[in-house]
Amino acid sequence: MSTTPAISLTGLTKKFKDVTAVDDLTVDIRAGRVTGLLGRNGAGKTTTLRMLLGLAGPTAGHATVLGRPYGELPRAAHRVGVAMDAIGPVTGSTVRGELLVWTACLGLDRRRTDEVIGLTGLTGAEDRPVSGCSTGMKQRLALATALLADPEVLVLDEPANGLDPDGIRWLRDTLRELAAEGRTVLVSSHQLAEVEQTVDDVVVVQRTLRYAGTLADLTDGGAHRLEERFFHLVDAPERALTHA
Amino acid sequence: MRNLVHGELRKAVTGRTWWILMLAGTFLCLLSTFGFASEGHKAVAAGGSAADVTNDIARAWMMMFLFASLSGAILVTREYGTGTVARSVLLAGSRGRLLAAKTAVATAAGAAFGLLAAGLGALACAFAGAPYGDSAAFTRETWLILAGVFACSVLAAPWGALLGWIVRNQVSAVALLITLTLVVDPGVQALAPEAAQYLLTIAMSSVYRDVKPDLLPVPWAFAAIAGWLTAAWFAARRLLTTRDIV
Ligand SMILES: Nc1ncnc2c1ncn2[C@@H]1O[C@H](COP(=O)(O)OP(=O)(O)O)[C@@H](O)[C@H]1O
Ligand SMILES: [Mg+2]
Repeated sequence: MSTTPAISLTGLTKKFKDVTAVDDLTVDIRAGRVTGLLGRNGAGKTTTLRMLLGLAGPTAGHATVLGRPYGELPRAAHRVGVAMDAIGPVTGSTVRGELLVWTACLGLDRRRTDEVIGLTGLTGAEDRPVSGCSTGMKQRLALATALLADPEVLVLDEPANGLDPDGIRWLRDTLRELAAEGRTVLVSSHQLAEVEQTVDDVVVVQRTLRYAGTLADLTDGGAHRLEERFFHLVDAPERALTHA
Repeated sequence: MRNLVHGELRKAVTGRTWWILMLAGTFLCLLSTFGFASEGHKAVAAGGSAADVTNDIARAWMMMFLFASLSGAILVTREYGTGTVARSVLLAGSRGRLLAAKTAVATAAGAAFGLLAAGLGALACAFAGAPYGDSAAFTRETWLILAGVFACSVLAAPWGALLGWIVRNQVSAVALLITLTLVVDPGVQALAPEAAQYLLTIAMSSVYRDVKPDLLPVPWAFAAIAGWLTAAWFAARRLLTTRDIV
């Protein structure tokens, strides 16, 4: 396990006209582990990830992935794989067609599409129009797209949304395997139960940072439920919290 | 950059949009072809020139440029509708590269629309008079008009794409292009023809060699179009690089 963080956020702040979505967020994400970015709907998870990836400019602060801002990281698209709820597939594409578009953009071999189709359990659905896919299949396709370039870092926004119990188990196993191969996985979620069995580290946000550390520390090695700790953290007045 | 253009080409041919636009454009151009052919038949019977009729029919195919511009706009704005643009930006390396690749692919799409219009236009000139027993009278002017029709489609597509980057919404971009082309520019032309000749679509009518008065000479018309495209490029680039993506 490396000691240099894979992802580093420093004083990250985003103000939209009258709302502060993310406020002075400082946290390091350790490499080679699965980290859950947890918070309620509207807590600022997606906004944080958008700033990390340079899709949105921070009002203050900065973010780096693998030591550089995403926009300045050489071969960033090959080293960082992204799947976000808000990033939809190309209109009118099929499962394979969608993957082929991004395979072309990345300059990869066409055969890589078959590999990620296999990895994400989409075999047999290759020629299906994406518009006719279930939410679960769309989530698998988004993950397949993120995995195309075999990236070191994965940034996944709400990948468990819309998954059935089989899908959730599959996602958990897949993320664990990816981390076991040495990859860094940052996964946002508001579904605590699913996260509890998947992540090594936890970052809890509610506009501001509420907790950053290992899941084991947060739950006292499983003595407390994650849910119980979560509500304590997000409902507490900000000052009362110490940043772990 | 080659990879990026390749990926953008794949996106451009994904879905049915471009077929629908080509069919719609062809349908409209055919409608006015039939109009010009039947009007032309009467005119020739009254002693008019057959060459003028052929040229009018060739000019009828200029309308394809509107559909070329819509295809450019949709190429960009549909990505905003689905959020796909975020992935495009992430994989492009920089927003400037994405803008360049997309503009190049839109221009290629415009060339496809242009070839379709010029090709079908030539066929229309040759055969539209047949039901009336009129034969075509191709002149050098006819070929220049068809070349102009091609050029207008090629140039209109990047124009649509750049407006798409500025407006970022499919319905608004399509409405804006249609309004500019069918309402605003002809309106200004009726009220202030001197000023209107510099407008993009009126400058294009110089390029497809319309016979209206108060049109710029062709080289100046190309310069005016280049001016509009350059302005749109800088506006699109500035907005794309400074605004948050979706
Ligand atoms: N583009 C935007 N303009 C204005 N407000 C926004 C925008 N994006 C997000 N917000 C607001 O910022 C807050 C955080 O949103 P978000 O990051 O999407 O939360 P989460 O992903 O944790 O559910 C919400 O209150 C949301 O309404
Ligand atoms: Mg979100």
